[in-house]
Amino acid sequence: MMMDNELSLPSPGHSLSAHASQSGESAAAAMRIAAKKTRSREIMLAYACLAPSLLIFGLFLFYPLLKSVYLSLFLTDPQGRVAEFVGLDNFKEILASEMFYTSFWNTLLFILLTVPTGIAAAILLAALTHNKLRGMKIFRFIFSLPMAVSVGTGSMIWMILYHPTLGILNYFLSLLGSQPIQWLTDPKWAMISVALMTIWMNLGFNYILMLSGMQGVSEDIYDSTKIDGSGPLRTFFRITMPLISPTLFFTSVVSVIGAFQAFGQINILTKGGPINSTNVMVFNIYQDAFVNFRFGIGSAQALILFAIILLLTVFQFKFVEKKVHYQ
Amino acid sequence: MNMRLMPKSFIYTALLLCSLAVLFPLLYTLSTSLMSEAESAVYPPPLLPEAINLSNFAKVIDTIPVLTFIGNSLIVSIAIMLGQIVTASLAAYAFAFLRFPGKTLLFSLFLATMMIPWEVIMIPNYLTVKSLNWLDTYQGLIVPFLATAFGTFLLRQTFLQLPKELFEAARVDGCGHVRTFLSMVLPLSIPGIATLGVYSFLNNWNMYLWPLLTTNRVEMRTVQIGIGMLQFEEMNSWNLILSGVLLLLLPSLLLLALGLKPLVRGITAGALKG
Amino acid sequence: MKRFGKRSFALLLLSCFMLISAACSNTPAAGETTVAAGSKPAQDPVKVVWWHSMSGELGTVADKLISDFNATHQDIQVEGVFQGTYDESLNKLKASLGSKSGPTMIQVYEIGSRFMMDTKAIRPVQDFMDAEAYDISSLEPNIKNYYTFDGKLHSMPFNSSNPILYYNKDAFKAAGLDPENPPKTYEEVAEAAKALTKGGQTGASFAIYGWFMEQFLANQGAELLNNGNGRNSPATASQVNNAAAVKTLEWWKKMLDDKVLLNLGRKTDDTKKAFAAGQIAMTLDSTASLRGIVSAAEGKFEVGTAFLPKPADGGEGGVIIGGASLWMMNNKSEEEQQAAWEFMKYLAEPQTQAYWHVNTGYFPVTTKAYDEPLVKENLEKYPQFQTAVDQLHQTKANLATQGAVMGVFPEARQLTETAIEEVLNGQKTPQEALDKAAQEISSKIETYNKTVK
Repeated sequence: MMMDNELSLPSPGHSLSAHASQSGESAAAAMRIAAKKTRSREIMLAYACLAPSLLIFGLFLFYPLLKSVYLSLFLTDPQGRVAEFVGLDNFKEILASEMFYTSFWNTLLFILLTVPTGIAAAILLAALTHNKLRGMKIFRFIFSLPMAVSVGTGSMIWMILYHPTLGILNYFLSLLGSQPIQWLTDPKWAMISVALMTIWMNLGFNYILMLSGMQGVSEDIYDSTKIDGSGPLRTFFRITMPLISPTLFFTSVVSVIGAFQAFGQINILTKGGPINSTNVMVFNIYQDAFVNFRFGIGSAQALILFAIILLLTVFQFKFVEKKVHYQ
Repeated sequence: MNMRLMPKSFIYTALLLCSLAVLFPLLYTLSTSLMSEAESAVYPPPLLPEAINLSNFAKVIDTIPVLTFIGNSLIVSIAIMLGQIVTASLAAYAFAFLRFPGKTLLFSLFLATMMIPWEVIMIPNYLTVKSLNWLDTYQGLIVPFLATAFGTFLLRQTFLQLPKELFEAARVDGCGHVRTFLSMVLPLSIPGIATLGVYSFLNNWNMYLWPLLTTNRVEMRTVQIGIGMLQFEEMNSWNLILSGVLLLLLPSLLLLALGLKPLVRGITAGALKG
Repeated sequence: MKRFGKRSFALLLLSCFMLISAACSNTPAAGETTVAAGSKPAQDPVKVVWWHSMSGELGTVADKLISDFNATHQDIQVEGVFQGTYDESLNKLKASLGSKSGPTMIQVYEIGSRFMMDTKAIRPVQDFMDAEAYDISSLEPNIKNYYTFDGKLHSMPFNSSNPILYYNKDAFKAAGLDPENPPKTYEEVAEAAKALTKGGQTGASFAIYGWFMEQFLANQGAELLNNGNGRNSPATASQVNNAAAVKTLEWWKKMLDDKVLLNLGRKTDDTKKAFAAGQIAMTLDSTASLRGIVSAAEGKFEVGTAFLPKPADGGEGGVIIGGASLWMMNNKSEEEQQAAWEFMKYLAEPQTQAYWHVNTGYFPVTTKAYDEPLVKENLEKYPQFQTAVDQLHQTKANLATQGAVMGVFPEARQLTETAIEEVLNGQKTPQEALDKAAQEISSKIETYNKTVK
């Protein structure tokens, strides 16, 4: 994973052994003992530093996850207590059900619709504001504004914008002479509409990441391209893109994980409908566990989802990160 | 694109169009929040209210205890933010500068926590908090969120970007890890820490399901629940809902206005450059 | 190197833990509710916690009822807590089962009734009624029937509603239809819709809401589930694919194909807004929306109301009660339960129900409320409400109109809604879509039954 470039800093262990090779035998032995002591202290210190985080993660993330593993092997009664051991039946049922595949493809579609477009929009806006012209402060603030909007409030606003007959978006369409679009009730449009809202909502954060990435690129590089007489597009794809590739990589990893977990906007805007066209995996899990009160099958699905995200992230780190250009 | 090579007028036109698109939902919210109920539900939808109508805000404040909610949200969000900065910077220091067995494994474990959908582990967590008798308390709202994989990841990258020469010098001076951490790494990473702070605050401010689940008394509730209280099963008044949305957005907008600069600088300062 | 000793190590640890504990040791604000402040009750009043899902205006009215009760009952202190939507609230209840953190009483939607009984965490209100020979003869029979299982009233009816047909009287006049003689059958609705469709106006739109489908079936006397709608013994199979349902969907789809009906999705809020804006001339909605719809249409057009339509050759039936009821949890002290029972009785009193009805649009659960002057005034102001009352009273009591019961009701509703969407979008014929829905619902019921013993 990202450990390839770890420890760029000389640690005490390192510098000590370097010294030791130059000193006499007895001194070296003494140093070795000291080094060993320092080393064990370093390890203790490291664990102490990690302890608070691990404690919280253990209690509030891994323990419930293990509980999910346990629950996934049972049917639960209306009180949510285990009622009957069913082994892997829950998993078999999920893998045999049409709904699982529908929600899986919906999730992939949602990721495809939101992640590349969201990042592209952020790059465009960041590029437009990455200069020293007047008024950039205001534009930067405007483009990062959606970051302040929560899923709940954002969905509420868009629900009203998307209203089938009174919504202002359809009104604009009618001014353009177009037929109204059933944004959230046409199975062909619903996912696109939810994706559009999501792109808007995530734009603020993605934009800030991209802008920061571009500001990190040294001015000298641009100056030299200016002298070369390289055009703006060429400069962008040849120079800027590779230089911000670490940012791009980070943003895409975080966005993909975020897209897998998108829940609030779907719950408020479409509830997975129409005809399950926006029923993504997390929503399906929520439905099974918290609306239909089947913790067993909900947990089993959650574990499958977890495994998918894990595999995909490992993949991103193993293969995609190779292409990332670290300075 | 490298904008210095393009005509200014082109850039400004593009910027204005994009701003309009990005701002539109928020401007619409502002405009509708000032309308009367009848205005907010006619076709064709008016773009601007006929008269500035502030009574919606009064009605919202009347329906939900906005100030209590904002106070609670501030306490919870700030506490989580500070806690996350402490735990994440400690963990990031270990991952960036210390050698210990199981490092790769533990780092993967940290990253893996980002992938667990929160909705899925909510009920077991509720049971944990309940058994600790933390329902209706600030710690119930705060403690489960005190550690952050995202923040650890971010700060680790920041720490790794710090100039190595400084540490060499410190080492020669006989500066221990604690001193190094407190007097060098932390002060030098202020921008990165500010980034984490703003990001964490906004996320906490926006939590909905967890505060709903773990609080029973109105005095303990947070702002996002207020939105739910404005929705009405039978007939929603858009003007009312949107003025509530606007009221609850104000604090986070303010923070963004103040925090944008450190946010951008923090990420620029090398947080994401491996 | 010396400086890096145990002391600094411990200091670091200490400092990090101190920060964390400082962050979380803020104990909750001591501010208990202010009501008890100046008063001097000999002993502390019994505290009753009521979880409800009443938000917006409804929430304000519910709060008023609570404060009125508290003001007149010195020895009882009711605390009403909004717990999110019915789903969210039920979730939370479930998580709290087996501990003291739950409420004394909770408001649950009608389709959660089977589920509530199966939790075995509730006490039927019949217990309290029997103990003091509480007179339930004035309870609205239709409402009472719904919440009666195995001969016992399990929960106390609180907010009840029905679907009715809303129509735009002005549009009827303009289209040459008689505004005082609204359509009664599917066929008449289709004809009226055709006449009403012109310009920017479409004849009708019904939200894709499983509740309407359940009502259409009951209105034709058709049962939704086997084993007497799940009332004779727990249901094992769904009958949502019966002839009555197929006929309903064919009618619905036909109007859509003829472009005299719009598909505006699942949210009744969307059809309601379109109706109030004059974009559609007929819609289905709950009686509880009446006030909202009439006031939204004020100055634009006159609102008419009519019975839920049914096919000309449909069987005898009527409407099922919708809304929610109040459930008593069985894990609180006897004293607390008694106090909650007092509150339930208060909520069912004619005056309380009159106030509730007039301010929310839900039916009074007691027929005595209709004698209250408040209700009479209201009926004068909103004569449209008489339709709803008549529809309720003309409903023929049978298993179909008593309402189906199953533990997986919320899910069944969703599956039905998906089936309607499949038909309206032309993906399946009514029979195909409903067959599939019935089969899926039956399999969910089967799994559920396995977990309840």
